[in-house]
Amino acid sequence: MITIRDLKKSYAGRTVVNINNLNIRTGETIGLVGNNGAGKTTLFRMLLDLIRPDSGEVLSKDSNVAKNSGWKDYTASYLDEGFLIDYLTPEEYFIFIGSLQQMSPAHVNDYLRQYDEFFNGEILNRGKYIRDFSKGNQNKVGIAAALMQKPELLVLDEPFANLDPTTQIRLKTLIKSLKKSQRLTTLISSHDLNHVTDVCDRIILLEKGLVIKDFHTDENTLKELEAYFSE
Amino acid sequence: MVTTFLGHQWKAFWRSRNKAGSIAAQVVLVLFMLYFLAIALALGIFMSKIIEETFPGSEVIAIFNGYILYYFLFDLGVRAQLQELPTLSIVPYLHLKIERKTIINFLNTRAIFNFFNLLPLIVMVPFSMTRVGAAYGPFAAIMYVVSIVALTFFNNFFVLYLKRKSINNIAYFMLILGLVGTFAALDYFHIISVREASNFVFAAIARQPFLGFLFVFAAVGIFIINSNYLRANLYTEELSTKDDKKVSTDYPFLNSFGKVGELAALELKLILRHKRSRGSIFMGFAFLAYGFIFYKSGPIQHDEFGKMLFAALFMTGITIISYGQFMFAWQSAHFDGLLVNKIDFKNFIKAKFLLFTISCTTITILASFYGFISYKLLLLHLAAYFYNIGFATVLVLYFATMNFKRLDITKKASFNFQGTGATQWILGFPFILIPIFIYIPFGIANKPYWGLLAIGTFGLISLLMRNFWINLLVKRFEKQRYKIAEGFRE
Repeated sequence: MITIRDLKKSYAGRTVVNINNLNIRTGETIGLVGNNGAGKTTLFRMLLDLIRPDSGEVLSKDSNVAKNSGWKDYTASYLDEGFLIDYLTPEEYFIFIGSLQQMSPAHVNDYLRQYDEFFNGEILNRGKYIRDFSKGNQNKVGIAAALMQKPELLVLDEPFANLDPTTQIRLKTLIKSLKKSQRLTTLISSHDLNHVTDVCDRIILLEKGLVIKDFHTDENTLKELEAYFSE
Repeated sequence: MVTTFLGHQWKAFWRSRNKAGSIAAQVVLVLFMLYFLAIALALGIFMSKIIEETFPGSEVIAIFNGYILYYFLFDLGVRAQLQELPTLSIVPYLHLKIERKTIINFLNTRAIFNFFNLLPLIVMVPFSMTRVGAAYGPFAAIMYVVSIVALTFFNNFFVLYLKRKSINNIAYFMLILGLVGTFAALDYFHIISVREASNFVFAAIARQPFLGFLFVFAAVGIFIINSNYLRANLYTEELSTKDDKKVSTDYPFLNSFGKVGELAALELKLILRHKRSRGSIFMGFAFLAYGFIFYKSGPIQHDEFGKMLFAALFMTGITIISYGQFMFAWQSAHFDGLLVNKIDFKNFIKAKFLLFTISCTTITILASFYGFISYKLLLLHLAAYFYNIGFATVLVLYFATMNFKRLDITKKASFNFQGTGATQWILGFPFILIPIFIYIPFGIANKPYWGLLAIGTFGLISLLMRNFWINLLVKRFEKQRYKIAEGFRE
């Protein structure tokens, strides 16, 4: 699905991302972990063609994301509030995002019904603009809008942060079930080691832009990670 | 305590993040203020001379009296537009062990340090002290000054009170502006004379200086009302946003343009739902009056379009220039979102053209009332219109690809230089110089109508080349988008 080759990015002489070779296969759920400044968000931004790499390339389905925007057809993402059009009501936003995927407003409304539980009655028909919602609820809007696009590749930056416990658990179930039913490839970054080991089947550990560890999860993963980070 | 607050405010100003970048803008702002102060000072010192020259043979003090309330009426209208609430800065203090009274005192003290409060004093106090003092004695002169200060305070706190009660409510302000306009019109058509009323009031003060205390009572009254309201509502959410229900809207007209229309609708919502963008649109309507200053009967009679070209270009193209100068930065808060979504950049650019064309056409149609002055002005406007939609749009969008400054669009528009960079300052030159250079040879050869035709044709050709421009802009946008996105993330 994704191939990363010789990807480098530095700011003011400090290397933020430096990845020689990384392959992500279709249907994998990848957890990206690492302390602040490890380069997780920068990597995601290069994956989504928001930042130009200093060198190297990101191939999505064998085509360079910076040269060809075909990846937008099957990729959905939510990194931060900068992805939300915050002066719209959630309904308007969903309809706008839906229209980009050729979904009619009726279709969107229909689709959103299955997220009633996820939204917990706090998102739709509240008579508020997105900017007036709490951060957690803004996250929900962003994640739901991403899922609505029926992606083959889903990129989420710290999706569990700011979410209430119930929603965190619901989100995990959702990702697991989408992986089974649609062979969804997911990239998640998180500081919460519990969640990451629970939902991901492969963990990539970054430090100062380098891939330090890359392994499949098993029952010892959480301990291993905790040991690494407490050093 | 209040001095500590003021100290913090002072630091907040000097240490603000975008300070370094906007020093040039600050300098311009200060120059503006000095300019107005100089005018006010000249007006104040030479008041009696000016009145004698303009209204020969009439009683100077009566004329002066007539304009006092008139001035404060307009002052009210201007303040409603421009004066800002000093509120959000108090949030970090609300939970501390500081009495509410102190905070309210601070807010009120802070409100007095305002440019608008200085102007009337400079304009009117010198005359009151000299002429009125000479005619009616020192006590009357002092009461004049007291009344003027009281009226200034009244306007100051009245506007703040209204603003606090009606945050985000445009209707209120249209009402005030409408009221001011109505009074001015009534005075102009001699139905009710504001000037006579004002003269009546101040003539009474001249004879019975004690009456001046009535204004003091009014000022104190509104001050108390304002303070009480603050004391009862000192919650940040009540001071900053109003909780009315927001509804989803749809623009069927734009839907007929398909994907491009959708993007245009998105941007239209952006314009209508933010203070700064709304402000720049309102300014556009205000500029419709520009022609009254520039369209003089002399140039119209002698077909001297060169002298009026500037006004025509500016008036018909105001939306393009005032909204377009910050182009793409309006969307800086969600620019990443626009890039990762499945939006064709071509449609993105086309949507901008669509909005520009619609707004420019609307303004040009509204401006056609100048046709009552002379049909020639309509020709002038038509040429300017074609230039604006044909070429100015391209110019503005091209410059937009060099604008990397994030724009905070939740703040008011007037005298706001946040997000202003070199692009905005340079943009004006080609916008205005190109049509003038096209016109000059025809103007010299005394073929003014050919000059208009040339400008119009230039615009029209550029309009027909729009697809070429769109491709060019898309290429440019694709090249620059990383830089733009990076700048907007700051």
